[in-house]
Amino acid sequence: MRLTPERPVRKQLAQLRAKPPADMTQRFNFDATDVNIVEQLRLNGRANNQQIAERLGLTATTVSTRIKRMEDANQLRVVAVSDFTAHGFNFLLRISVEVDGRAASEVAHELAELPQVFAAHIVTGRYDIDMLVALHDFDDLSTLLLDKFSTVRGIRSLTPAIVVDIIKYQFDVAPIEGRD
Amino acid sequence: MPAPILDALDRQLIDLLSCDARVSNRKIAVELGVTEGTVRGRIKRLQQDGLIAFTAVTGFEMARKSRLSFINVQANVDKVRDVARAISGLPEINAVLITMGQFNITAMCLIEELDALVEIAQDQILTIEGVHHVETSIAVKTVKYNARMAKITPQAMIQDGN
Repeated sequence: MRLTPERPVRKQLAQLRAKPPADMTQRFNFDATDVNIVEQLRLNGRANNQQIAERLGLTATTVSTRIKRMEDANQLRVVAVSDFTAHGFNFLLRISVEVDGRAASEVAHELAELPQVFAAHIVTGRYDIDMLVALHDFDDLSTLLLDKFSTVRGIRSLTPAIVVDIIKYQFDVAPIEGRD
Repeated sequence: MPAPILDALDRQLIDLLSCDARVSNRKIAVELGVTEGTVRGRIKRLQQDGLIAFTAVTGFEMARKSRLSFINVQANVDKVRDVARAISGLPEINAVLITMGQFNITAMCLIEELDALVEIAQDQILTIEGVHHVETSIAVKTVKYNARMAKITPQAMIQDGN
C-alpha cells in the first residue's frame, strides 16, 4: 500500500496532532444510562419515552431528561434521514479538489456554500478537498461546473468519480450543529 | 431508478422529522392540519419505500472514533462488486461506494488512531482478492456535512422495523 507518497505517515500524523477538532476540546460525560437510551433510539427513533423507560427499567421522566441533556449538549439528534432519491438527487459525484494559490479552507468554505455540495472535507493526501455532490441529473453538471465552480478562486484541478452504486452507508456519528 | 412520487405533504413531513424525529404524530397532525391517521400512514409508507429511516446520531465525543477517513481502492474491474461487498462486511467500515473514476471503490470509516486506518487498509482490504492498490486520506476538517440525507440501504430499513 502506498500511503500517499507526497505526505508520508509521520507528516500526516503531525498534521493531525497540530489540529485537534474544535469539538474535542470540551468533553461531555456519557454514562451507561445515556448509552442504553441511545441504543434504544437507534433501534427505534420514534419510540416514546414511556416505551424506552419500560425497556430499561427507568422512569419516563429520566428518559426525557437524559435525551434533552444530550440534545442540549449537541451530542444527540434523533432524526429522520431521507434517501437521496427522496429529494430527486439521482446523480452523485465524489470530487477531489487540488487547491493552488489560496488556503484550502477558504476554497472549501466557498464550495460548501453551494447547495449541490452536501459534504466537504479538508483531507490529507494527494488532494486538498474531498467533496460529495448531489445533482438531479447529468444536465445539472454543466451549470455546476461552468457557472459555480468556475467562479471559485484557487481551484487547480477537479477529479471526479461518478457514484455508480452505494453498497453500504451507515453513519450514526456525525458532527452536530447547534439548533437555530 | 424511477423518481419517487412525493407530494407536498410528504415533503413537509420529511422536513419536520429530519429536524426532530421524536415529535408525536398528534403534534405533527396539528401542525400540518391533517389527521393523526394520515400522519401515521404517510410515515409508514415513506419508511416502507426506503425513503426515510429514523436514526439517533451522536456527536463525536460519544463515539471516540471521530476521525473520518477515506480508503480509495483500485480493484480488478471484473471483481468490483465482490470486493465492494467484502469491504462492506468489515464492521469498521461505515460506507462503501462503487465509483467510476481514478478508483473504483471508496470506503469510508471513522477511526480513533492512524494505526487503525493502516490496519484496515493494508491488512484487511489490500488482502482481498482482486484488490491491487489502496490509498488513504484523512479528513482533517469537515467543512460541511449533511447528516440528514443519506443512502438508505436495505440493512437500514430492516433495522428500522424493530
